[in-house]
Amino acid sequence: RKTEIYSVELSGSGDIEKTDKGHDKKYGGLKKNCLERKTHQPKEELKKELDLDDHKLSNEELETKYGTNIITGLSSTRAAELLARDGPNTLTPPKETPKIIKFLKQMVGGFSILLWIGAVLCWIAYGIQYSDDKSSSLDSVYLGSVLALVVILTGVFAYYQEAKSTNIMASFRQMIPQQALVVRDSEKKTVPADQLVVGDIVEIKGGDQIPADIRLLSAQGCKVDNSSLTGESEPQPRSSEFTHDNPLETKNISFFSTTCLEVSAPPAGTATGMVINTGDRTVIGQIASLASGVQNSKTPIGIEIEHFVHIVAGVAVSIGVLFFIIAVSMKYHVLDSIIFLIGIIVANVPEGLLATVTVALSLTAKRMAKKNCLVKGLEAVETLGSTSIICSDKTGTLTQNRMTVAHLWFDSQVFVADTSEDHSNQVFDQSSATWASLSKIITLCNRAEFRPGQESVPIMKKAVVGDASETALLKFSEVILGNVMEIRKRNRKVAEIPFNSTNKFQLSIHETDDPSDKRFLVVMKGAPERVLEKCSTIMVNGQEQPLDRSTAKAFHTAYMELGGLGERVLGFCHLYLPADEFPATYSFDVDTMNFPTSNFCFVGLLSMIDPPRSTVPDAVTKCRSAGIKIIMVTGDHPITAKAIAKSVGIISANSETVEDIAKRLNVAVAQVNKRDAKAAVVTGMELKDMSPAQLDELLANHSEIVFARTSPQQKLIIVEGCQRQDAIVAVTGDGVNDSPALKKADIGIAMGITGSDAAKSAADMVLLDDNFASIVTGVEEGRLIFDNLKKTIAYTLTKNIAELCPFLIYIIAGLPLPIGTITILFIDLGTDIIPSIALAYEKAESDIMNRKPRHKKKDRLVNKPLAVYSYLHIGLMQALGAFVVYFTVYAQEGFRPSTLLNLRVEWEKGYVNDLEDSYGQEWTSYQRKYLEWTGYTAFFVGIMIQQIADLIIRKTRRNSIFQQGLFRNKIIWVGIASQVIIALILSYGLGSIVALNFTMLRPQYWFVAVPHAVLIWVYDEVRKLAIRLYPGSWWDKNMYY
Amino acid sequence: MVIQKEKKSCGQVVEEWKEFVWNPRTHQFMGRTGTSWAFILLFYLVFYGFLTAMFTLTMWVMLQTVSDHTPKYQDRLATPGLMIRPKTENLDVIVNVSDTESWDQHVQKLNKFLEPYNDSIQAQKNDVCLPGRYYEQPDNGVLNYPKRACQFNRTQLGDCSGIGDPTHYGYSTGQPCVFIKMNRVINFYAGANQSMNVTCVGKRDEDAENLGNFVMFPANGSIDLMYFPYYGKKFHVNYTQPLVAVKFLNVTPNVEVNVECRINAANIATDDERDKFAGRVAFKLRINKT
Repeated sequence: RKTEIYSVELSGSGDIEKTDKGHDKKYGGLKKNCLERKTHQPKEELKKELDLDDHKLSNEELETKYGTNIITGLSSTRAAELLARDGPNTLTPPKETPKIIKFLKQMVGGFSILLWIGAVLCWIAYGIQYSDDKSSSLDSVYLGSVLALVVILTGVFAYYQEAKSTNIMASFRQMIPQQALVVRDSEKKTVPADQLVVGDIVEIKGGDQIPADIRLLSAQGCKVDNSSLTGESEPQPRSSEFTHDNPLETKNISFFSTTCLEVSAPPAGTATGMVINTGDRTVIGQIASLASGVQNSKTPIGIEIEHFVHIVAGVAVSIGVLFFIIAVSMKYHVLDSIIFLIGIIVANVPEGLLATVTVALSLTAKRMAKKNCLVKGLEAVETLGSTSIICSDKTGTLTQNRMTVAHLWFDSQVFVADTSEDHSNQVFDQSSATWASLSKIITLCNRAEFRPGQESVPIMKKAVVGDASETALLKFSEVILGNVMEIRKRNRKVAEIPFNSTNKFQLSIHETDDPSDKRFLVVMKGAPERVLEKCSTIMVNGQEQPLDRSTAKAFHTAYMELGGLGERVLGFCHLYLPADEFPATYSFDVDTMNFPTSNFCFVGLLSMIDPPRSTVPDAVTKCRSAGIKIIMVTGDHPITAKAIAKSVGIISANSETVEDIAKRLNVAVAQVNKRDAKAAVVTGMELKDMSPAQLDELLANHSEIVFARTSPQQKLIIVEGCQRQDAIVAVTGDGVNDSPALKKADIGIAMGITGSDAAKSAADMVLLDDNFASIVTGVEEGRLIFDNLKKTIAYTLTKNIAELCPFLIYIIAGLPLPIGTITILFIDLGTDIIPSIALAYEKAESDIMNRKPRHKKKDRLVNKPLAVYSYLHIGLMQALGAFVVYFTVYAQEGFRPSTLLNLRVEWEKGYVNDLEDSYGQEWTSYQRKYLEWTGYTAFFVGIMIQQIADLIIRKTRRNSIFQQGLFRNKIIWVGIASQVIIALILSYGLGSIVALNFTMLRPQYWFVAVPHAVLIWVYDEVRKLAIRLYPGSWWDKNMYY
Repeated sequence: MVIQKEKKSCGQVVEEWKEFVWNPRTHQFMGRTGTSWAFILLFYLVFYGFLTAMFTLTMWVMLQTVSDHTPKYQDRLATPGLMIRPKTENLDVIVNVSDTESWDQHVQKLNKFLEPYNDSIQAQKNDVCLPGRYYEQPDNGVLNYPKRACQFNRTQLGDCSGIGDPTHYGYSTGQPCVFIKMNRVINFYAGANQSMNVTCVGKRDEDAENLGNFVMFPANGSIDLMYFPYYGKKFHVNYTQPLVAVKFLNVTPNVEVNVECRINAANIATDDERDKFAGRVAFKLRINKT
C-alpha cells in the first residue's frame, strides 16, 4: 500500500536530496525541463563503457549463460571454482605504493641524499687513512655511522608519522563486512558479500546494500537509491521487467553498492536477483578504476618543501665544493679537504627540519581532525590553506540537509518561520483563528511519527519515521503546539488517502476533539494548485469567504513568491462534513471515495526549504574576505540553488546575474553586457554546450557562480576550468561519481556522513560533519601552518650559518676547530627540535583570513628575503656571538685570539706535546683536545643561547613580539626550557663521556652570548617596526619574509 | 593531475639569463635597479660595519677580563706534560749511524735548542740560585715586577752538552742523547718542595733488555726546585727550562725500542689514562747499524 518513500531519519538529517527532487512533482509550473537531462547526461558517459545485455535475456537464457539454477542456485563447488577464477567480489583498492618503496623514498628524499654522501665520504676518508696507517683513529667511521643513523632515524620517523596519519584514514574506512543472503545447493545461506560469484542467486531486503551487479528475477515495489552512481537523487523503482535497452535505465538491473530502499513484495519482503558481475567488473568498479587513473599531483606544500630543499642543498653543495677547492689550493691534504667538505655539508643541512615539518603538519592535522576535518595525507593540511576556489556541494554541506518550514501564508499575509538549527523561537503571529485551523491540518494530515523512546532528545534531533516534508511539518507543529501525538489521539483518524504522484494530495478524515461537535473533519494538503482546485472558499481571519478572483490572485502571488525563493510550497485546506449526512457511524471507503473531495475551504500555504546551516553565512563571509571564491555546484533546480546561494552569501545581496539585470532593465538577456553581472547561475545544460574557452571566461569574469542541475561528472569539467585559472581548487563531493573530480582537485573533500566510500577514498580530506564551516576552519589552519612553517624554517636555517662559519674560519684562518660535526648534530637534532615544533603552535598574526590566498608561484614558503635574512643577518650575528664565547674560553685558558691564528696545524699534531700558549705555558695534545671540546661546548652554548632569541623573534614576522604576546604560546617556553635542559645535560650530565665531545662549561660562559642574543631581538624589533611603518617600501620588500 | 612542465628551448634560457643580468626595459642589473643596488650595498656596508664594531667591542670587553701576565684559568694544566728533544715526527728517534743525514737534522735542532743554555749566556742573563728551594719572587707591592731566572748551564748536561763533542751528542756513534723537559706551567710548584727526578725505562720487558744502559745528566736525572715557579713569558723573560739528558749507551741495534720516561714528583701524577703525556713521555728509539 505504501507509495511514498519512507525512510528512517536519524538525528533529524537524512534524505533531503530526495525531497529536493520531489519538488518537481509537487510544485509544478515553475520549471519543467532540466530533470530529464540531468539524469541522462551522466549515464551517457557511462554508457560507452558498459557492455551488458543480461537485462535483455530471459530467466532461462540467464540460467544457461551463467550455468546456474534460479531455484537451487549454484553448487558450492561451482561457486568455489568461480571464486577462484574471478577473485573476490570486492573493489581492488587503488594501487598503493608498496610500504618498502615509501620507506626507501623517505631514506633518499630531501636532504638524506646529501647526508648519505657525507657518510660515504667519511668511510672513504677512513679507508684512505687506514691504507696509509693501520692505527688511524676510527673518528671518521663513527661520524659516517652517525650520519647514516641520522638519515635512517629521521626517515623512520617521517615514515612512521606518515603511516600513522594514513592509518587514521584506514580505520575510518573500515566497514563492517557485508553479508549477503545467497541460495547455494538449494539452501539459503548467509555468506560474506565478497564471496559472491556470477550466477549466484541472492535475496535482497529493504535497506540492504546491493552486494554486486544483479539482474533482478523477482521484485515488487522495489526501489533503489542510485544517487551514488548516477547522481539521481530520486529513488528508482526496480522490478524484474526489461524496460530499457540501456542497462542503466532498465528496471531489472541494480548495481553494486547502491542501496535498496524498500521491497514491499511478498514473500517476506525480499527481491531475488542473479549476480551478473562482481568486483571490479561491476559498473561501480569501472568508475572507481577510472578515478584511480587520474593521477595524484604533488601537493603545494610538497612543491614548496622541494623548492626549499633545493635551495639549501644548493647552498650546501656550492659552499662545500667552493671550500673544497679553496682547501686544496691552500695545500691542505685532500683527505682533510674531504673532512672539511663533510663538515660543511653537515653544518648546512638542517637534519631535523623535515621531521619537524612532518610533526608540525601532523599537529595541525590533529587539530583539524578535532574540528571535523580529517586529513589523509599530511601535506594536504596546507593545501587547504592555499585554496583559492572552493567548489562546494549545496545539500548537507551548505544546508542542514533537512526540510524545514520557512514561510507560511495565511490571512493574505506571509509569515517567516525560524529555520535555525534548533527552531527555538517561532515568533510569527499565532493569534489568528486561521492559524488554529491551519495548525490542525498540519498536525492531522501527516503520517510521520516520532520513533518511540526518545523523550529526552530535543525535538529537532528526534528520529522520525516519514518522508522529509512530513518530518518537517511534524517537527514544526511539535515545536509550536506541543504534543502532536496527543492531539492526533484526540482527533481520531477514521480514514486516509496517502500522498501519491497522481493525486498530488494527501487527505485524512478525523473525528474532532470537541465532544459537542459530532462532525467529521476532512483535512487535505498537497500541491497548492491542486489543493486550490478543490476549494470554493478561503479562510480569512477565521472566517470562511468565497474564493473570488482577487483572493485567488493573492494566492498565486504568494505561491509564486515562495516558489521564487526556491522553497517547496504546500497548500492546506479542510472541510467539516455535515453531521446529518455523515453520522458518527458512517463508514468511509477511500477506494470509492464516498465523501466529498471538493468545495473545501482553503486555509493557507506553507513553504519549506532545506535551510542553510547557521554557521555557513559567516563562513562564506570569511572565505570572501580571505579572497577565496566559492562556487556552488548542485544538482538542484537553479531557483532553489540561487535562493540558497543568496541566503548564505555566495551570491551577495547586491550582486545581480545577467538575468536579473535583464529583468531590471526590461531588455533581452542577450543584450546585457555579461561583465556587468557579478553573479552567474549556470545550469548543467548550459555548461554542456560551453567550450573550455567560454567556461574560462565565465570563471574569470564572474566572482559569484552557481552551477545548478549539474551532474557529478560536470564537476570534473568545472574543476579543470578552475585549475586553468592557476587556482588551487578544493572540491567537496559525496557520490561515487564525484570521485574523479575529487581526485582531480588540488584537495578533494569528501563528506563523512553522506559520502560514499569511493568518494572518501578518492578525497584528500574527509569532512566529518559535512559542514561547510569546517572547511573554513580548515583553511584557517592551513594558512596558519604555512605561516608557521615559514617561521620554523627561518628559525632552523638561521643557525646553519653559525654552524657553517666555524668551518670556513677554520679552513681560512687556521683556528682550532670551533665546533665539531657531532656537536652540530646535537643542535640540529637535539636542542632545536622542540622549539621549532613549538612555532607550529604560534597563533596567527591577526590578519590571516583577511588576505588573499597565496599565489602558488609567487608566494613561496622559502623566499629570498627569508633566506637572506636568516643567513646573512641573524645567522651572521649568531655566528659572531658564538665566536665571542669560543674566543673567551680559549683566551681565559691561555690562548689569546692572536695566538690562535694559524695554529691549526701544530694544534692538531698528536705528537706535539709542548705547544706554547700566549703565556709561555706548554700544552700536551690531550690538554689541547680537551680545550677544543670545551670550545665546541662553548660554541654550542653560544648558538643555543642565541637560538632562544631567534625563537622569540620568529614568533612574528610583522608584528612586534609584544603585540603578539610573549607568553601566549606556552609551548615556546617549553621549547626554550628543553633547549636549556638538553644543553645542561650535555655539558654537565655527559661531561665525562668523551665520545660526545662535550665538557663541563664554567657557568659564566653560558652568559657570554647574551648581549648578542639581546642584539638579535632588538634588531628584529627594529626591522618589524620599519616594516609596519613603511609598508611597501624598499625595506618592506627586502626584509619581510 | 599531470604537471605541465613548460619545456624551454636553450635559446630561451640564454635569453632569460641575459634579461636577468641586464634588463634594458626596467634598467635592472641582476634583478635590481641601480638605486636598489645602491641601497642594498649601503645597507650591508652599514649593517656589517655595525656588526664588526659590535664584535670588536665584545671581544675587547672580553679581553679586558684577561690579564697579560697570567691566564685566568689553568685547570687544564694541573699535570704538566713531558716532552723530548729532538722533537721528531711522531716522537720516533731513528738514527742510521752510517747515514749522516739521518741524524744531522736532529743535531742541528739540538744545537739550536741548547744555544740559550750556553754558560756564557746564562752567566750574563741569569742568577745563580740556591739549589733545593723554590726561587720565589713575590711582587712585593710592585705590580708586574720583572722576574729573574736561575742559571741552567749547558755544561751541566755533561756528555750530552755537545760542547766540543765530535760524536754529535752521540748520534754518530749510535749512543744518542735525548733531552727531556717538563712543560712550563705558570705558578706551578713542581715537586711540592721535595726533590724530584726523571727516570726512564723500556716500556715492556724486551724493550728493557734492548734498551741497555744509559746515563743521565744531571746525575739521577734530577730537576732542581730552584727552576720553579715559572712566572710566564712576559715577566720571566729569560727563564731557562731545566733539562734532563739521557745518553743511551748500548741500545740493541736495528730494533725498535719503546722508551718511557716519567717524572717522579710528589705533586705530579703520571698515571692519567687519557693523557699519555701527563708527567711522562714515551718515544721510540731505533739505532740502525750495518
